[in-house]
Amino acid sequence: MFHTEYKKLRVLKEKVFLFTIGALTLLAILPLFHIIISIFLKGVPVIAERGLSFITETFSNGGIGPAIIGTLILTFITTIIGVPLAFLAGTYAYEFPESFVGRATKVLLQIMLEFPTILVGTFIAGVVVFPMGTYSALAGALALAIILMPYVAIYTEEAMAEIPKIYKEGGYALGCTRTQVIFKVITKMAKKGILTGVLIGMAKVAGETAPLLYTAGGLYESYPTSLFEPIGALPLLIYNLVQSPSPEDHKMAWGAALVMLIIFLGIFVPIRYSLKKDIKI
Amino acid sequence: MNKILKNFDGFKLITTPAITVVFLLFASMLVFYFISSYPAIERYGIDLFIRNVWIAAEEASKEVYGLAAPIWGSIYTSIIAIIFAVPLSIAYAIYVNDYAPQKLKYPLIIISDIMAGLPTIIYGIWGALILVPLLRDHVMKFLYENFSFIPLFSYPPITGYCYLSAGILLGIMVIPFATAIIREAYAMIPTVYKEGLYALGATRYEATKVLIGYIKPAILSGFILAFGRALGETVAVSLVIGNSFNLTYELFAPGYTISSLIANQFGNAPIYQYMTPTLYAGGLVLFLIGLVVNIIGLYYLKRWRSHVSH
Amino acid sequence: MKKGVVLLLGILLIIPIISLSGCMGTEENTQPQETTTTELTTTSKTPVTIRTSGATFPKYQIQKWIAEYQKINPNVKIEYEGGGSGKGQKDFLMGLTHIGRTDPPVKEEMWKKFLETGDQPLQFPEVVGAVVITYNLPEIGDHTLKLSRDVLADIFLGKIEYWDDERIKKLNPEVADKLPHEKIIVVHRSDSSGTTAIFTTFLSMISEEWAKEVGSGKLVDWPVDKMGRGVGGKGNPGVINTLKSTKYSIAYTELSYTIENNLPTAAIENRKGKFIKPTTETIKAAVAGVKTYIPDPKEGYKEDTKQLLDAPGENAYPIVAFTHFLVWENKDHKHYTPEEAKAIKDFLRWVLTEGQKPENLAPGYIGLPEEVAEIGLKAVDMIKE
Repeated sequence: MFHTEYKKLRVLKEKVFLFTIGALTLLAILPLFHIIISIFLKGVPVIAERGLSFITETFSNGGIGPAIIGTLILTFITTIIGVPLAFLAGTYAYEFPESFVGRATKVLLQIMLEFPTILVGTFIAGVVVFPMGTYSALAGALALAIILMPYVAIYTEEAMAEIPKIYKEGGYALGCTRTQVIFKVITKMAKKGILTGVLIGMAKVAGETAPLLYTAGGLYESYPTSLFEPIGALPLLIYNLVQSPSPEDHKMAWGAALVMLIIFLGIFVPIRYSLKKDIKI
Repeated sequence: MNKILKNFDGFKLITTPAITVVFLLFASMLVFYFISSYPAIERYGIDLFIRNVWIAAEEASKEVYGLAAPIWGSIYTSIIAIIFAVPLSIAYAIYVNDYAPQKLKYPLIIISDIMAGLPTIIYGIWGALILVPLLRDHVMKFLYENFSFIPLFSYPPITGYCYLSAGILLGIMVIPFATAIIREAYAMIPTVYKEGLYALGATRYEATKVLIGYIKPAILSGFILAFGRALGETVAVSLVIGNSFNLTYELFAPGYTISSLIANQFGNAPIYQYMTPTLYAGGLVLFLIGLVVNIIGLYYLKRWRSHVSH
Repeated sequence: MKKGVVLLLGILLIIPIISLSGCMGTEENTQPQETTTTELTTTSKTPVTIRTSGATFPKYQIQKWIAEYQKINPNVKIEYEGGGSGKGQKDFLMGLTHIGRTDPPVKEEMWKKFLETGDQPLQFPEVVGAVVITYNLPEIGDHTLKLSRDVLADIFLGKIEYWDDERIKKLNPEVADKLPHEKIIVVHRSDSSGTTAIFTTFLSMISEEWAKEVGSGKLVDWPVDKMGRGVGGKGNPGVINTLKSTKYSIAYTELSYTIENNLPTAAIENRKGKFIKPTTETIKAAVAGVKTYIPDPKEGYKEDTKQLLDAPGENAYPIVAFTHFLVWENKDHKHYTPEEAKAIKDFLRWVLTEGQKPENLAPGYIGLPEEVAEIGLKAVDMIKE
């Protein structure tokens, strides 16, 4: 009798528990759906009304073209500045995991990953923008590169660390130098992981606002032509528009947010799905 | 000799400059923040960090600044965020790892990754234009009208832009981050443990309870790291925190965080002599708190990992 | 010393950048080509971009000018940026913008800093606007409240706490029974703002207590904040945003914002004891009643926002002010390239002539008196191409 009572209680507990974590999980992912749905509901009418001109025209003609191009250019320059450095730093951390410098590098990269992005922006503002006397695409890209680097470096290091040691030894056995082994053999084998790191880093910096606040300046009436002049960016534009009271500006902001969301999901989801096998459970 | 050269330098020659740049960057940032904030620290001393005052004047002699409110705001909103995120991210991690039907597993993991990668400005626009009015009209008003005898709820929810809104938005933003760390820790538990527990006839609830106890240190470090992340968030917070100097625990009061203060005032700071150094000093504080929090979090996580794998 | 270190850090940063610029240079050339060929084929001349940042007081007017001007000059692109008068002065000083905007004239100390750059700053009014009092009181909708000088000061001092205060009721008998027993929430600017400077100068003129306890400036310590009834908003846009979403609030802003957002404005007691609503006529009356002294654009002037405030006319709205442009004389091409200088001159000349005509003025703003516009034109002629 007592035994069955006890068993019932245990089963009940089990059910309550299952229900609770299911409900909490639902609650945890609810905001994402709310965000996506609201952005679609508010953004679609704006884009439908203005059509293609919304993504090609300049700001006073009711479009966000320069901001989109600005974000693309910024992401592109950032990648060019940041990826080579990050790749080399990552390989170093992979090759010398036991040395002091190697360990310090890894810790440093992990710390930089969590670094408040606004501080990178004000740092670049102080050492690049103020001395140069102008906001510029270059300054924006430098700030973003500092944010991109740890992502790429850590992904590189981790991707390489997963390659079985035997390939490395094989390389040496064939008489290759360390340079050849790392950059030809290991890099090729870890290609996918490194590329993922680069793409995820790019998706990350394309959405960053804070580091651009005092570095990029903004350019929405014409398309950017020079690296040394101010440039616009989608997140920066949205940030400015949200702070305005006019419904017209809010409409633009929702439309721009939708464009950004689509670009982000368009890049991010396929990458994540292509890595399905690598997801640990 | 030749052989040593051949083996040694090529690689180091290429990578060392990159490492040097990374280290120099970090060091120069630290030095830059120290030097730039020095005039304010020299002038106001410790008052700069423990007083809540913000008097800007074009005559430098009248300027007085104290960063107490933003420092408090940064820590307070991050604490609210963690309190909010703890139950949700633990449940999320357990559900995905142990209970979700096979079909739901991958989507749930991908959803969490999307949440982690979603541009912060997207959270910001949603937070400012949708979440805040929602919270104000349905949560804060209710709490204020019925429970305002509790000091936490005694501030009238005027605009909805306040510590609580910022904390909840931050909480939503750090959930995927904390979840990922817990999930990873959970996956690292040797299967022998789980099998052993079921073999003893434990229900899933009981098994989970034991396993959670086992990965407690990892959960803790996950939340420490999430706390560090919440501290530094700028754009989304500055859109929902209300931006005023309020040194209070009242949840519905508008406030400032260090990063939202910088985002708001850095633009006009240079016309005042001591405002820019003050903001850089705020940045320095954020830098150091973040550094300490992250090092502690990373250290514990690493120790736990090596403990498990041995 | 500090500069030296900063420079050193800058150099440390720049070395790796230069070492990378080899590959960057080539990429940079290929990227814009794709965009420029598709987007700019319609125009043959290269477009010039002018940047203007600062005061949000004239936002709607500047945006209107930009829209109109770009229609007739498609080759000139003008980037509007807000940020408040403080940011306008700072951006101008650091060369981060071409045309700085500030509501109150630049103070002497700031002017000296401008001169230290080795170039000559020029300052002149661009348009006239009014600071108005607006409120969010659902019970009375867009009914015009009358506010006397002492009541206005006491509301912002926090001494009048509720909307149904006897003194407010007495001034507004028609809505006396509708005024709610709710706390007055004061919305003010959180950034360094010219609108705040104008408004607090006016309050200091009409209330001794205000002058003594708060004073005037672009950033002041609002007494209501300490009572938990003050909220800050960034820029005039931020203030309006907050006001709209906050019941029982009151705020000061530029007239155009209330027009654009369909908000009520209060009638303020002027020097003659009349309650005057801000309209084109009453602002014109204020401008007409004052013999303005505008110094030479090169002189700069000590902050004197009082100029148009509390004008004597019977029908004059009391809180009226010029808002100003800042440009450089451009000695030795220090700040502008010849193309930029030409575009800036053309634009400003247009603003001071065509731009002052009623069809190019945004609702809520008044054109400059002719002799004042002349001073601006004189300044524009000084800019060296």
